[in-house]
Amino acid sequence: MKNMKRSLALILSLVMALSLSACGGSDSGSDLAYVKDKGTLVVGMTDFAPMDYKAEGSDEWIGFDADMARAFAEDLGVDVEFVEINWDNKAMELQTKAIDVVWNGMTLTEEVKQLMSCSEPYCLNGQVVVVPADQAANYQTTESLSALSFAVENGSAGAEQLDALGISYTAMDTQAKALMEVASGASDACVIDLLMAGAMIGEGTSYPDLTYTVQLNSEEYGVGFRVGSDLVETFNTFWKEAYDAGTVMEVATTYGVQESIIEK
Amino acid sequence: MLLDVTLSLLEGFGTTLELFLLTLLFAMPLGLVISFGSMSRFAPLRWLVQTVVWVVRGSPLLLQVLIIFYGPGLLFGLPLLPRFWAALLAFVINYACYFSEIYRGGIQSVSRGQYEAGQVLGMTKGQIFFKVVLLQVIKRIIPPMGNEWITLVKDTALVRVISVYEIIWMGESYIKKGLIWPLFYTMVFYLLFNGLLTIFFGWLEKKLDYFK
Repeated sequence: MKNMKRSLALILSLVMALSLSACGGSDSGSDLAYVKDKGTLVVGMTDFAPMDYKAEGSDEWIGFDADMARAFAEDLGVDVEFVEINWDNKAMELQTKAIDVVWNGMTLTEEVKQLMSCSEPYCLNGQVVVVPADQAANYQTTESLSALSFAVENGSAGAEQLDALGISYTAMDTQAKALMEVASGASDACVIDLLMAGAMIGEGTSYPDLTYTVQLNSEEYGVGFRVGSDLVETFNTFWKEAYDAGTVMEVATTYGVQESIIEK
Repeated sequence: MLLDVTLSLLEGFGTTLELFLLTLLFAMPLGLVISFGSMSRFAPLRWLVQTVVWVVRGSPLLLQVLIIFYGPGLLFGLPLLPRFWAALLAFVINYACYFSEIYRGGIQSVSRGQYEAGQVLGMTKGQIFFKVVLLQVIKRIIPPMGNEWITLVKDTALVRVISVYEIIWMGESYIKKGLIWPLFYTMVFYLLFNGLLTIFFGWLEKKLDYFK
């Protein structure tokens, strides 16, 4: 799957390069003007509590990212539309203007920075190893991990960490499925976001028998725009103002992520 | 809980059925046109159609869906089709090609004698095709058609790759909420619907039994 998508992306970008050189480049002008003209900011996201999710029995997207996206759209004077995307396709979704922004607790990896123009980081995060709680005592160090079989989201920051450690893994299409692997016993452990682990595992959650042990790295969340988009500047200014006005921390406190917010 | 999940899965299955029915509506006639093309006596047309059928049948439907949705934007910077329409277009083209081969098999299996008998009776080419050949073709292609229709019901699950929210997408979204069973529960919907299709095709076959 991974290779297939990579090669598809490669082929498509090759053809694109050819066609661009053939017709002299059709994309120019301001992304900000494009969005304002259209009157809607289309936000690409996935169901990812506490950043973007729907409350029980509600059809409205809420969460730290969703609420801030709404505020950003309001600041631009446009409507906001949330589209749940297939995370693997986020770069294509952006580039083809199917969406205008990727805003979903996105870790700023080298790969992401190559594929889109990113905002300044706004939130801290890390990758943690999740194991069944009754085995947690045995896996408190990075060295102890090599004996485990891992599941991890394809192309995610967690997968990058495992690659760096030389640990092989089964690639899943979402972090949630990686968790399911561990819950069902199909894999011994998985690597997911710290923020997600905080919200989804442990007592009082859907996965009470799982816990997290080693934190593999620390990283930052950012918002992704089309390559070269002038919306990046607009966003950074908006964020600074919202932070100074206290809006950011207020919303963060609502969703319990205030500890992770980066000071501006 | 069960009711909530069932309702939300039904919503997804509505999209699944819509894609299924619209694909049939457009691909069934288009397939017949393609089958005539692939049997054409005009060689360049025949080669062209056969090449198209080769490309469409020979490449994964998943890629075709991705290319039809993202392709125009990636290649030419054009605005995209709405997600559902892109999915439908990919399915219509793909299934029309499969159907065309089923039609071709059916048409070519009718013996020359049937055409000759029509000619002896002084019928025109059109009369022979519609009054003599077609009904025999329909009877013969029913089993392979049934196969394709059932495959089509399940293939619709592919369109979640471009965020068309069909039933598997709806089922998977529960995994994030810590519920694993809704994904597997979707199977009941497929099984029930394909059960109905199986009964329908059985009935149809019986109905056409008088052609020996």
